[in-house]
Amino acid sequence: MAIPLLQTAAALYLVAGLAAGLGLALPSRRALRGAPYLLLAGVVLHSVSVVALHRDGTAPPLTDLPVAVSVMAWFGASFSLLLLSRARLAALAVLVGPLAFLSTFYAALRLPEASPVAAAATGAWPHAHVMLASSGLGLLGVAGLAGVLFLAEHRRLKGRRPLAPRVPLPTLEALDRVNAASLALGFPLLTLGVLTGMMWLRTERGSAFTGSAHELWCLVAWAVYAVLALARFLGGQGSRQAAASAVGGFALLLFAAIGLRLVP
Amino acid sequence: MKILLLGMNHRSAPIELRERLAVGEPGPALAKLVACDEIAEAVLLSTCNRIEVVAVTREPESARQRLRTFFRRDLAGELAGPGGPLQDEHLYEHVDADAMRHVMRVAASLDSMVLGEPQILGQAKEAWAAALECGACGPILGRLFQHAFGAAKRVRNETRLAERPISMARVGVDLAKQIFETFEDKQALLIGAGEMVEIALRSLRGEGLAAIRVANRTPERASQLAVRYGASAHGLDELPALLSGADVVLTSIGGDGPVLTREAVSAALRGRPHRPLLVIDLGVPRNAEPAIDELDNVYRYDVDDLGAAASENAGLRQAERARAEAIVAEEQQRFDGWFAALRAVPTIQHLRARMESLRAREVERALSRGQFSAVQREAVESLSRSLVNKVLHAPVSRLRREAGREEAMAYLEAARELFALDEPEDGPPPEEQDSGE
Repeated sequence: MAIPLLQTAAALYLVAGLAAGLGLALPSRRALRGAPYLLLAGVVLHSVSVVALHRDGTAPPLTDLPVAVSVMAWFGASFSLLLLSRARLAALAVLVGPLAFLSTFYAALRLPEASPVAAAATGAWPHAHVMLASSGLGLLGVAGLAGVLFLAEHRRLKGRRPLAPRVPLPTLEALDRVNAASLALGFPLLTLGVLTGMMWLRTERGSAFTGSAHELWCLVAWAVYAVLALARFLGGQGSRQAAASAVGGFALLLFAAIGLRLVP
Repeated sequence: MKILLLGMNHRSAPIELRERLAVGEPGPALAKLVACDEIAEAVLLSTCNRIEVVAVTREPESARQRLRTFFRRDLAGELAGPGGPLQDEHLYEHVDADAMRHVMRVAASLDSMVLGEPQILGQAKEAWAAALECGACGPILGRLFQHAFGAAKRVRNETRLAERPISMARVGVDLAKQIFETFEDKQALLIGAGEMVEIALRSLRGEGLAAIRVANRTPERASQLAVRYGASAHGLDELPALLSGADVVLTSIGGDGPVLTREAVSAALRGRPHRPLLVIDLGVPRNAEPAIDELDNVYRYDVDDLGAAASENAGLRQAERARAEAIVAEEQQRFDGWFAALRAVPTIQHLRARMESLRAREVERALSRGQFSAVQREAVESLSRSLVNKVLHAPVSRLRREAGREEAMAYLEAARELFALDEPEDGPPPEEQDSGE
């Protein structure tokens, strides 16, 4: 039951992204207006699938990669929905939708292969680590996607190729605010995720740092984000640099948290 | 008599060249032009998108050369400057019907970069008024411009060309909406106090900006505008402080050097890394240094860029263009009819003078033959005048009516031949000629 629900949620994310894309391309804005509702439907189904997965208590632990990726997608899509309700940001669904689809679809494909373990057997630290780190990753992912749109918009406006007013792309100001808000919320969550991960390691292996590539790269990514947050909020970093940093930072974080684990 | 138009616009010449040739005060240039024998009347229109001279001449070839020299020497100067040397392809030329049509299309904003933009009509009226003031605009151009203003008014009232009123300033406001999410906490700074700035003030007033400031070289002029639109007025000396608080800067001010330099804008942006600055430069010559593009948070648009931004609205207005062109064609035909009738005027005047002279001479001769009372003399005078008028009525009416047609010259030549207008008046009296036959 959980897997078909997850697959449907993935499909809804994809449709939301396509609807947003069509809404930007076509004269009618109906498709664009529908994109947030499709994203919302995806988030609701995604939530139901998670509940269904864990109802019997024998679901794969959160530390299982497909589950962690799915949680990250859920946080990212949910946070995007909050943003979409506050500003002229429906076009953000063009990027959020496909990324949420890829993550959820990957989870739906790989979950049947995961070995079910009683959730209680894994303890509290791993759950806290995955929840906090995935939510941080989801939020910083939104910052990265907003950064991509910001850079595209910045390039267009600097190149003095303004679109006709009817094309409802997000404003630079809104994208910059998304970037700031996502970093302001995502970085503390990521920090807590790293700390709980260290606590998990110390509880399980007696040391907070065992020297694995995942740990090392995650620490590097965290340190990079710490510098970015300082530069953005205290160092007077400009909006364009902040957008570029958010894109680069998210790519690094994605590689450290997920990419390394996908490499055999 | 010919109407000749020579000029350049946004399609024929780059902005750098137009900036160089722009004429701030047309009076002296016009006075110089009409001082030449070959140019009877002239009006000079200089806006950010065009520099045109429309002239009335009896010697079209000499006038054409004179106007080209005016553009080359008086406006462009002998030496090449920004935009390169003035080339033949930068200039266009229209004669008579084409020139009339062009003037009307310009006034009706059919030749504007932004189709249907309203300020060109005001600029055309200013150009006409300036020419009137310095005595360069005579009856022919005066009438042409009146027809042009009439055509513009009809286009505005009878078509939907201006239904979505897009001016450069309005395009700038739309552009600001692509950068800023809300205007509630934004400040606009408008530099200058001309028509462009006034239109911008009108556009910005309804957008709910936190503050609108108008800065001008003459603060009194800024103050007059500011009071009308609920803005605050400032002098240009306050520019550094005003810039640092501004989110949208719209500038349209005359002068030689740029008002917004890279250094000034860079200094204003210090301490506000996440507040973008939109600079809309509607000045020609440009008021903002292009080097400010190098600054990260600044988005600068000049008149050429805004023209591109308006392409979508222009597309929507294209549908109305055909109706507007038809109105212009109608008005042009009306003026052309009047103008063509002018060609018959010298012949008609000559004919009337000849007949009057003949009448006076014959009456005098008849009355000298006897004693007539004053009443009788008056009756003879009246009879002779009435006869001449009745005889001339049909040919004069026909000459006037046919003057606008292709065969006008044949009619005029026939009249001159039949009434011997090209022969000396003091020939043998008609009476003797008749008796000879």
